[in-house]
Amino acid sequence: MKRIFRTGLMGMAAAIALSGSAFAADYPTKPIEMIVAFAPGGGTDVAARSIASFMEKHLGDGARIAVINKPGAGGEIGWTAVAQAKPDGYTIGFINVPAINALVVEGKAKFKMDDFQPIANLVYDPGVLVVGKNSPFKSVKDLVEAAKEKPGTIAVGTSGAVGSSEHITILNFERLAGIKLTHAPFGGTAPVRQAVLGGHIPAATMNLSEALQLAREGEIRVLGVMSEERSEYLKDAPTFREQGYDVVAGSSRGIAAPKGIPAEIVAKLEAAVDKALKDPEYLEAAKKAEIPLHYLASADYKAFLDKSTADLEATWKVSPWR
Amino acid sequence: MIDAIIHALPHVFAPANLLAITIGSVAGLVVGALPGLTVTTGIAILIPLTFGLDPLFALGMMAGMYNAGSYGGAIPAILMRVPGTPASVATILDGYEMTKRGEAAYALQVAVVSGVIGSVLSAIALILFAPPLVKVSLLFGPAEYFWLAMLGLATISALLGDDLVKGIAASAIGLLIGTVGQDLTSGTERFTFGSLELMDGFSIVVLLTGLFALPPVFQMAEEAIKEGMSASLLRFKKQRSVMREWRYFLPVWLRSSAIGIFIGVMPGAAGSMSSFLAYNEAKRVAHSPETFGQGNPEGVAASEAGNGADNAAALIPALSLGIPGSGVAAVILGGLLVHGLRPGPQLFRDHPDIVYGFMLQMLLSAFLLFAVGGLAATRIFGQVLRLPRIVLAPLIVLFVAIGVYAVNNAMFDLYVLMGVGVVAYVLEKLDYPQAPVVLGLILGPMAESQLRLSLTISQGDPSALVASWVSIILALLTAIVLVTPLYRSWREKRQRKPAAA
Repeated sequence: MKRIFRTGLMGMAAAIALSGSAFAADYPTKPIEMIVAFAPGGGTDVAARSIASFMEKHLGDGARIAVINKPGAGGEIGWTAVAQAKPDGYTIGFINVPAINALVVEGKAKFKMDDFQPIANLVYDPGVLVVGKNSPFKSVKDLVEAAKEKPGTIAVGTSGAVGSSEHITILNFERLAGIKLTHAPFGGTAPVRQAVLGGHIPAATMNLSEALQLAREGEIRVLGVMSEERSEYLKDAPTFREQGYDVVAGSSRGIAAPKGIPAEIVAKLEAAVDKALKDPEYLEAAKKAEIPLHYLASADYKAFLDKSTADLEATWKVSPWR
Repeated sequence: MIDAIIHALPHVFAPANLLAITIGSVAGLVVGALPGLTVTTGIAILIPLTFGLDPLFALGMMAGMYNAGSYGGAIPAILMRVPGTPASVATILDGYEMTKRGEAAYALQVAVVSGVIGSVLSAIALILFAPPLVKVSLLFGPAEYFWLAMLGLATISALLGDDLVKGIAASAIGLLIGTVGQDLTSGTERFTFGSLELMDGFSIVVLLTGLFALPPVFQMAEEAIKEGMSASLLRFKKQRSVMREWRYFLPVWLRSSAIGIFIGVMPGAAGSMSSFLAYNEAKRVAHSPETFGQGNPEGVAASEAGNGADNAAALIPALSLGIPGSGVAAVILGGLLVHGLRPGPQLFRDHPDIVYGFMLQMLLSAFLLFAVGGLAATRIFGQVLRLPRIVLAPLIVLFVAIGVYAVNNAMFDLYVLMGVGVVAYVLEKLDYPQAPVVLGLILGPMAESQLRLSLTISQGDPSALVASWVSIILALLTAIVLVTPLYRSWREKRQRKPAAA
């Protein structure tokens, strides 16, 4: 009895192993789960839901992608689910740099960056430092000088908590400019924007896309953009680099799968993302919504992820954020 | 503005767009009435489906779902004591008592009319007063939010029930549960026991559902009577008419709507606060506050009008600044972005027909609620109660479990749900009121985090807490709310003394 059972099991294992390669060829044969580590309606969720339908179209053969929200713990719950999923190509997910790398560098996460197989990056949204329209600060330098005069008196609001990527950026800026600021974590983008507009906080950081409309209306002033070059969406806003501070930071959204997923499937998904991002219908919608698209294919995305992790490791050694 | 409204009218009343609002309303009622499933989830699922559609069609569905979903929660709350949405918890307090008295139809009627009135006033505020109301919302920084939370906590006393000590214990339980999770200011994890799921604290939807939806089910199972609620209790005709008693309800409606609109406009105040604060206020000013919680229709009216008034108002900062006033408004913002509509002042300039069209749809869907909610849905849902309890109880648990799982797609939430449900059942057996738990849970973390933010920004200088006139007014109001009962009892004692002598 026992032996029959064992042979049966072995037969089943063989059948599964055999079906593996056939299975990559006609992938996908069932719905693909796309895990989003944030709540429905957030930036990442909207990005995922809009790209999913175009990926379905370009995967062809009636492919189905189901967006599953697993929010919590700043993304850690959803990312852990992606890292620990079966690498069969039927679970993929959105990962967000640098938040995900920061968790790994702190050594707190249950996953390593190697547990992910990068597929493609979609969006890169640079960070910005903003002040209210009545603020005395006109440039990054004004703020740095004021902070040098009275260290620690200027509070900078962020949408995150202690240890969030925006907090880490502030630490980097403090180090590069030789100043001391006070970090005020608001825990969400809506309250921090409200506080800047209402003049309840001297300055704040957020992503460019979140500041764009208010900056164009003159309701808030962008002191500096944390990208290498000026953004084409807001050409008047100078970069930090132009003003002599080498602060480059932002958040990116891309798609990854658990490591060990067959190379053919990676290639298929990568191609689907590439085609979806070139789809005129998608491009038009993205342009209207001013989504800062930034496509990176699997290999480039991997290099980008590695660099982000290395940068954060360097920061962690000098100024641990937690 | 009037030009834009007139321009938008034909679009709003186009047959396709009317259909969109109706579809949205029906879907919203279902989503709202199913415990655990919330309007936020419903609209989030809707957004990708609207990708290729005309923006006003998509927004019409969202408007319908928003208003109808927020009322839908009241149906199971009144009929079964199971809240369909977190905001309908306050409706249970009097709504279910009315059902037990055989006034289910009347209670539902009060709920739907009050919800419509709140939503209509809110939509009018959105159309007419968005710019000044946005300015008011900008006056609120961390210090002002802190006082708002303190004011809310001070009014808890109205919810305490007969036994003061048990009421205070219940509030303390709420405050304690609210401390679980990562502390934003220091990054320290509190009472999470290393669990990732507890990092953000307990999910409010899960907790509220466990607290309020499960104990009545356990009760049903305990009684296990093999028959449904008698049909005589469920007569849906021939009961009093709210419309004929409008004079009686008018003050409650107006006060509650004002509270709902105010809380809706504030991005930092949780949406489910409006119905509670409106209920509190109605009870506080009532001539006979002791009838609240015993099936006073005013309680239902206050809760539902406050809840309805929160809806359109939450869109005021969302549309004009891109800052959502509630969770649902945040999802709707996402929906606008998908259609290339970027919220902010330029939205009103570049797409006035769509913005005003959407606002009119919010108004229209509020009126439509009368028909969809008042006539059809409540009767259909009402019949569910005629099922034998032995069938009904597991059915409710099934829907609750599906709804709660759908919030975060996490098994953990189901364990929390069951755990909280059992604890809540025991508390109920021991006569602890549940409502104070909720307010403690919502307001405690708000008061704490805003106080700390305010002190962080001011470098620890406590004078920042009373630096603005808004803070001072809120602080004074808090003091008045706390001192009034003391003063009253002191006066009563003094009056009694000469009589005794």
